[in-house]
Amino acid sequence: MNASAWHMLLEGAWTTLWISGVSIAMGVTAGLVLALIRIAKIPVVDQVLVLYISLARATPLVTLALFIFLSAPTFGIQLDRSVAGILALTLNTTAFNAEIWRSAFRNFSREQREAAMATGMTPWITFRRIMLPQMLITSLPGLINEMSFLIKGSPAIAVIGIVDLTRVTNRISAVTYEPLPPILVACVLYMAIIGCLVWAQRVAERRANRLAV
Amino acid sequence: MSEAGIESRKAPTDAAVAIRNLSKSFDNVEVLRDVNLEVKKGDVVTILGSSGSGKSTLLRCINWLEQPERGSIHIAGERIGTTDDGRAMSVKALARVRAKTGMVFQGFNLWPHLNVLHNVTEAPIHVLGKSRHEAEAHARELLEKVGMSHKMDAYPNTLSGGQKQRVAIARALAMQPEVMLFDEPTSALDPELVGEVLGVIKDLSAEGYTMVIVTHEMAFSRAVSDQVVFLEKGLIIEQADPETFFTNPATERVQKFLERHD
Repeated sequence: MNASAWHMLLEGAWTTLWISGVSIAMGVTAGLVLALIRIAKIPVVDQVLVLYISLARATPLVTLALFIFLSAPTFGIQLDRSVAGILALTLNTTAFNAEIWRSAFRNFSREQREAAMATGMTPWITFRRIMLPQMLITSLPGLINEMSFLIKGSPAIAVIGIVDLTRVTNRISAVTYEPLPPILVACVLYMAIIGCLVWAQRVAERRANRLAV
Repeated sequence: MSEAGIESRKAPTDAAVAIRNLSKSFDNVEVLRDVNLEVKKGDVVTILGSSGSGKSTLLRCINWLEQPERGSIHIAGERIGTTDDGRAMSVKALARVRAKTGMVFQGFNLWPHLNVLHNVTEAPIHVLGKSRHEAEAHARELLEKVGMSHKMDAYPNTLSGGQKQRVAIARALAMQPEVMLFDEPTSALDPELVGEVLGVIKDLSAEGYTMVIVTHEMAFSRAVSDQVVFLEKGLIIEQADPETFFTNPATERVQKFLERHD
């Protein structure tokens, strides 16, 4: 592999990283918002969300990405490839994250909430100061697990023409006729990214132990 | 309507807690029946009764953790939970009145993600809007008072039950409440740890704090109370000063209860 191949590989890795990163950030936040709306049990809205969550969980990423990219012009929207990719990944991961957040909320200690309300905290302050920090810690293993699924599933967005870390290996070998070196490097880079997440998960679990009263 | 009837409906102003005609059911079982109770500022009232008599429910109605169906409760002259025409208060208004009460739970209910100091400062900062500096200075004083200043940086999971409960008392005191509510504060403790918690509560009574205490500790009740209330099947069947209550109870039911707890 020459310098230009390395350069292309790193560019592919960067594409995977930033598209996944943006999708993770949006998916974790949107998942929390959806979970809270579902907990409020608003009629109709709740049924719509249940439908979305089961559809998003049942649709393959490749199909979802294609659908979004190809259907957007029908609605008169010109979608950038990256935006379509991010949208597909986000729609997919949000559904899983919503369930993780919801179970953290439902399992939250009633006694601790009562203690918060007894000091005069409003439900909002109770949520922000007492529940959310602990929900984040207890959900983190599940959320990080979902993050690594997203990164490992992200090559699906190549189907709409995004040159990510997996797709780029194809491009390189088309020139060099040596498919093995670039794909090996890509594997190592994926492992490094996921390794960082696993490490973060271990740190999170250590902190979570403190919550066991 | 008689003069007395009008008198009893008047919103009381000087009592720390005034409970009027309070009734509450769980699944059609009446747990509180027309309860009336007044706690004067600076008084210590202990509530006794066998389990299932409704004493914890009564205490939890005072800060509206349980919602009664009928009756009213005033904290330092301000009505909690419902407005005078019977509608539910807004969550903000309810939280504001609740802040006038401090509660200590049987299971401590400390917040495990915060250390001891921050358990005590959390509500003063985020409810009262105190500065961190001011809240921490006050928290240090209170932790000193309950003998926990050496554990300021510790997290709840490293403390013993007695230590947790003393932190929980400091947390409730930090809001400078009009009344402190204790819901069986020593029932979850190992016997050798009960004394340290009761000692702290006794100190508070000596300092003039208004307190309502649900307890099974008879000697403690006798020592700290200005008034003892005995609840049976949701009714107050006896209410007296501790001397009268423990030496010369009026009802046979209380006599039997005291014999069993001797």
